[in-house]
Amino acid sequence: MATVSVQNLRKVFPGEGRDVVALEDVSFEASGHTFVSIVGPSGCGKSTLLNILAGVETPTEGTADITKDGSRARVGYVFQAPRLLPWRSVMDNMLFVQAEQTDQVRERASRYLAMVGLSEQHKAWPAQLSGGMQQRVGIARAFSIEPDALLMDEPFSHLDAITARGLRRELHSMWMETKKTVLFVTHDVGEAVELSDRIVILEKGGKLRKDLSLDLPFPRDPADDKVALTKAEVLREFEELDLIAT
Amino acid sequence: MATQDVEATAPAVRIDSEPEEPRPERARRQRYLLWRIAGYVLFIGAWAFISSLTEPYILPSPVAVLRKMVEVVGRDDFWVNIFATLRHLAIGFTLAFVIGSAIGIAMGRSAYWDAFFRDYVMLTLTTPGLVFALVCVMIFGLLDIGPIVAIVLTSFAHVTVNVVEGVRAIPRELMDMATAYGVPRSTRIRNIVLPAVAPFLFTAIRYGFAIAWKITALTELFGQTDGVGIQIRVEFLFFDIAGVLAWAFFLVGFALVMERLVLQRLERRFFRWRPKAFA
Amino acid sequence: MDTTASSGSVVRSGRSWFQRTFVTPRAARITAPVLFLVAWQLRLMDRFLGLLFPGRTESALLPTPAEVVEAMWEQLLDGRLLEAFSVSLLRLALGFALALLVGSIVGLAMGLSSRIEAMLHDFVIVGLTFPYLIWGLLVAMWFGYGTIGPVLVVFIAGLPYVILNMSEGVHDVSKELRDMAAAYEIPRDRVMRHLILPSLSPFFFASLRYGLANGWKGLILAEVFAATSGAGWHITSMRDYGDFAGVVGFAIYFALFSIVVERLVFGRLSRRVFRWRPATGRDVSEPPEVAAP
Repeated sequence: MATVSVQNLRKVFPGEGRDVVALEDVSFEASGHTFVSIVGPSGCGKSTLLNILAGVETPTEGTADITKDGSRARVGYVFQAPRLLPWRSVMDNMLFVQAEQTDQVRERASRYLAMVGLSEQHKAWPAQLSGGMQQRVGIARAFSIEPDALLMDEPFSHLDAITARGLRRELHSMWMETKKTVLFVTHDVGEAVELSDRIVILEKGGKLRKDLSLDLPFPRDPADDKVALTKAEVLREFEELDLIAT
Repeated sequence: MATQDVEATAPAVRIDSEPEEPRPERARRQRYLLWRIAGYVLFIGAWAFISSLTEPYILPSPVAVLRKMVEVVGRDDFWVNIFATLRHLAIGFTLAFVIGSAIGIAMGRSAYWDAFFRDYVMLTLTTPGLVFALVCVMIFGLLDIGPIVAIVLTSFAHVTVNVVEGVRAIPRELMDMATAYGVPRSTRIRNIVLPAVAPFLFTAIRYGFAIAWKITALTELFGQTDGVGIQIRVEFLFFDIAGVLAWAFFLVGFALVMERLVLQRLERRFFRWRPKAFA
Repeated sequence: MDTTASSGSVVRSGRSWFQRTFVTPRAARITAPVLFLVAWQLRLMDRFLGLLFPGRTESALLPTPAEVVEAMWEQLLDGRLLEAFSVSLLRLALGFALALLVGSIVGLAMGLSSRIEAMLHDFVIVGLTFPYLIWGLLVAMWFGYGTIGPVLVVFIAGLPYVILNMSEGVHDVSKELRDMAAAYEIPRDRVMRHLILPSLSPFFFASLRYGLANGWKGLILAEVFAATSGAGWHITSMRDYGDFAGVVGFAIYFALFSIVVERLVFGRLSRRVFRWRPATGRDVSEPPEVAAP
């Protein structure tokens, strides 16, 4: 069981003339089978938080780790853009991130490709796939390393509404099946309410504003009254935020 | 973008502006094949016509030049000279490529080395090759190393500017992705860095090579005992225009074959993943 | 990560006074030539060659920086420098003006007509590949010593660059914008002035820049064989007299000339012509802007 632990995290980017504060004293924890959405206006440091957790960037102050039984957990990362190697086939892209290249690993990679419905395309080059298909490869790649936790950075924001909706459903069922810890960054409140059992709201300047638990049964239909109410509640919180920000 | 003033000196339209030419372009070429042939016919016809008006030694006819080319190939020392030139070219260009790439990698990764080499690179790009050829001939006399150093001095910068661009084109977001997944360094270099830099390396080779073979001939002409350059000088001293043209056609033919058949084919194999290739 | 180190990564905190002063990009631009001069003054090259080729003769030793500076001073004082460069520049201007005129016409014709393009394309490519050395020798045999030969080589050397850039320029005029102009029934002269010419101008500029640069290289070679004046002839004749310091000094003048032209003329011009263009996202056929030092 993976544990995400963020303690007094602060991140400052040195800028021209003036430093930019991306995250300011952020603390929260999450563990086990949970789906945490991180929402906030653009520029509030959401992606930076994931980058630090993934080890791509280092914190200025504080700590942010994902651990399992005391050691560093295996983490899958789905980005806003698919981030596939354009010069490698779909299958080779899947294998690129694997620790070892055994037949077992290959078999596992094929299984996850099948799960996102792309078995046929394993030999294709990324440029031959549509945007939605490429993003699905990105998701399959993240699951295929059998991670303890999953980081997702607005994975559906570049896709059209219908494709995004289908992928959200797929993601939800994969999460229910694999019981991972998921950290999901988005600026779409509806998406957050539909998918998560917890929502963390960041405000401009990278401060944690609110940590909400959502106690609604899955699957959630956006048209359902309770779901709509919750969404309205979070949105209200959001509007206040924007007033503060401007 | 510190080296922009440096790379600015590279020709805008590259010597071979269609390495991976899109299909429609090719189809158009086919359609206008007759016009293309007409161009050749017109050119050779005009040449033959003008040469018939002048003394044969002023402008030898196409047939005379062809005959001369056959005669030159039959000479005892033809292959000796060709191999001497190829040896200079191979050693010199390999060195230029290695040195140019090393400097390019340093410049692409560090602002310090970028500033350090920027002026050298700019100077060697813009100074006429003759200057380097003369200085090398004076330093090395008839030694074999003369043309080699001249090649390195004139063509390393063309490799460097392209490698710098290549290093800067390494996609950061893919490198970050690899870091997030803990992909080891060697795998990253093989799967991200090399494929990203490869097109720039091809351009580097192409540019560097185009300069290298010309400077080889030039340096040989001033200070060598063997090589195509000195043969051209001999023909010049005997006022044999057909001879000069014959050697020139050998050189240009060699360059075009290297470029079209060898490099372009390699390139096509390398870049199969590009969307154009199967559009 | 290491391969994508940004240019700013060199400046780190926690560096000594020495590092902060001398290991900066600004200092590097001075360190580089100073190191070169020191190596030269210490005759490192000669020593190295002496080890490699023990049989080298004394006369082949490189001149010292002092000897070269003396030679350069002499060339400046006795007017040789000014005379050589002014003669060459005049030839360059003459030959390139011709190339610009003919090249623009041919280039536009190739850009507008696929047939003409099919006819001429291969010859332009061979023209780019053909060594200036050969042209230099040919014009020497055809016209002897004088002005015609070198001017002709400038013309031949610059021509393919003008043609290719102009025909590329015509291809590049955006079809969408032309359709837009047609949809709004904008008069022809206004389309020409506001659409065609502005989209051609970067290509015209590129043909100036690369045509001149290559015309210059061709000219210097042509003057070696087909002239008794000009910069190319001067440096060769000094070599024939064994005046090594003179050759190196003149070579440095060539280098200085390149720097001046690159930095001042093209740097300024390109910034003016392309001021509408955002700093990023340039394309191969356009000359990138010169960075401010």
